[in-house]
Amino acid sequence: MSSSSLATHQAETSPDAGGAFSFRVSDEPIDVPAEQATLSDPGAGGYVAFEGWVRETNEGRRVVRLAYEAYPMLANREGRRILEEARQRFGLKSASCLHRTGLLEIGGLAVWVGVSAAHRGEAFAACRYIIDEVKHRVPVWKQEFYEDGDSGWVNCERCAAAAGPAQSNATSTAANASHGHTHEHDHRHGHSHTHDDGHHHAHAPQTTAPQPAIASRLPDYARQMALPEVGAAGQAKLGAAKVLVIGCGGLGVPVATYLAGAGIGSLTLVDPDILEATNLHRQIAYAAADCGQAKVLLLAARLRALNPSIGLHTHVEAADVALLDALVPRHDVVVDCTDRLSVKFAVNDAAVRHGVPAVLASVHQYEGQVQVVRPGSSCLRCVWPQAPRDGVVGNCAEAGVLGPVPGLIGTWQAFEVLRLLLDLEAPREGVLTVDLLAGQTRFLRAPRATDCPEHALKQTVATDAPLELPSLAAGLARGLCVVDVRDAAEAAANPLSVAHHHLPMAALLQDLQQLPAAENGWLFVCMRGIRSRSVAEACREAGHAAAYSLSGGAPH
Amino acid sequence: MSQTYTLQYFAVLREQARCREERVTTSAITPDELYAEVRARHGFTLEANFLRVAVNDEFADWHAPLCDGDHIVFIPPVAGG
Ligand SMILES: [Zn+2]
Repeated sequence: MSSSSLATHQAETSPDAGGAFSFRVSDEPIDVPAEQATLSDPGAGGYVAFEGWVRETNEGRRVVRLAYEAYPMLANREGRRILEEARQRFGLKSASCLHRTGLLEIGGLAVWVGVSAAHRGEAFAACRYIIDEVKHRVPVWKQEFYEDGDSGWVNCERCAAAAGPAQSNATSTAANASHGHTHEHDHRHGHSHTHDDGHHHAHAPQTTAPQPAIASRLPDYARQMALPEVGAAGQAKLGAAKVLVIGCGGLGVPVATYLAGAGIGSLTLVDPDILEATNLHRQIAYAAADCGQAKVLLLAARLRALNPSIGLHTHVEAADVALLDALVPRHDVVVDCTDRLSVKFAVNDAAVRHGVPAVLASVHQYEGQVQVVRPGSSCLRCVWPQAPRDGVVGNCAEAGVLGPVPGLIGTWQAFEVLRLLLDLEAPREGVLTVDLLAGQTRFLRAPRATDCPEHALKQTVATDAPLELPSLAAGLARGLCVVDVRDAAEAAANPLSVAHHHLPMAALLQDLQQLPAAENGWLFVCMRGIRSRSVAEACREAGHAAAYSLSGGAPH
Repeated sequence: MSQTYTLQYFAVLREQARCREERVTTSAITPDELYAEVRARHGFTLEANFLRVAVNDEFADWHAPLCDGDHIVFIPPVAGG
């Protein structure tokens, strides 16, 4: 209950109202005599108080305790407004209202209202007015814990009243008005995307007088806006920004989550993968029960829950050159969070081609590398003129990784995105290396290389034949020669069940002449299908059209 | 005329060297000579053309002469995410 603990210190008093006019939410027990004492006034002829207690049943279910949670800033603001209304309407001498947050037992004092006025009529009426308005308007949520061990959230009455069709209409209208221009997509690549209409709340908390129920459920950026480098102007920059996140795995999860929390105006998520159980230790936005579903859609749902005010666009597909060329120019920053070197280079190239800054990163076991590529700065190819093929350097599946490593590096990427968007102190050109085992970071400066091939993408040879085959049987049916490109130890641990040759990838790529003679071509096999794909690509570039990769790697 | 360098390894090089840092006194005076020497000693599988070398925290040419006491990083690109 972090929100409620803040509330304790946020008592507010109207300065010019004569007596005390105080509203606050608090996670401390209400001291009734002390509150009552604040209401005494020589001109008051009476005092009326109301106490709201925790009841043991709600809608037929036995409640054993409950917890209130409030949004303190909005709650206090709305509460003060109610007291001021009561003062003007009933001519009160003073009024005070406290609403508890936190855990309460049956019979506990949940809300207290006290007013003093010249006459009893105004006092009774004002007390009734205040408690009714507080129950309807102040954003407080109630979590009930039932006798059977279950629990459930109950909206404040006003929230429940607002949660009908009228709310959906209002918000989707606002979303269309505000985000409609971001929904322009080029469909010529046949990619799918979803628009989360009805969840795009175009308004920020400060501007949502008509729908405070929804506003109270939006992030409040006060903590980041308190930074002198951010402020309202910085927040406006973030709210206007569009960020493209390629990859929704170990890096992409913290990147997208922090950016959504920061109030980035629009996030586009791209990833072809479905969630697997092996992802969960490091991709902590997902749930075990969600395995088998598209990560992009799962993450979008999570981000929508985190911050309903942002725009979300999803692409359940791999980022190829065509998709990147369509998407990158429409964004302010592109973030590469994939585990494929080929995609990292494609992202780098698209970013350079379209003059859009890119934040690139990757991890290896206990280490990470982060590179920020800005227009005119050095790029990934300035550093790595010769891109190794996928699989030459291990990815997480092959090399292993502890979850916090991509978590940390992805968090670093999120920071770099905010740095770019907020124009914070400029990052240097180069590669940040992080070695968590050694507890070391090292920044390696990389000036723009004079021989960088104009940041141009090396075109791979196009061919009509599919590069990947789904099974060993499909390869045998084509009469292909099966070649295991795993290391000797890997191959021994999980040997192929069919006749095959064994040529580790590193050795094979040094000299393709080592390939065994094969009348119909080769089917390459590795652990996950990444190295074998690289070998097949190398063979095709060398003119061997009948080179294939076993998709997904050796059968387990 | 030998010089002493501090070498740092990343990623697969660290794994294969079984250390992240070592001091080497050698007659090698360019990064490529130095890499050939440590590659033979540690059995590094990656060829130099897949790597970059950084000298005193700046990416450097493989053939640029080294100075005694230089800090040298051999670093491959990494792909995990
Ligand atoms: Zn470049």
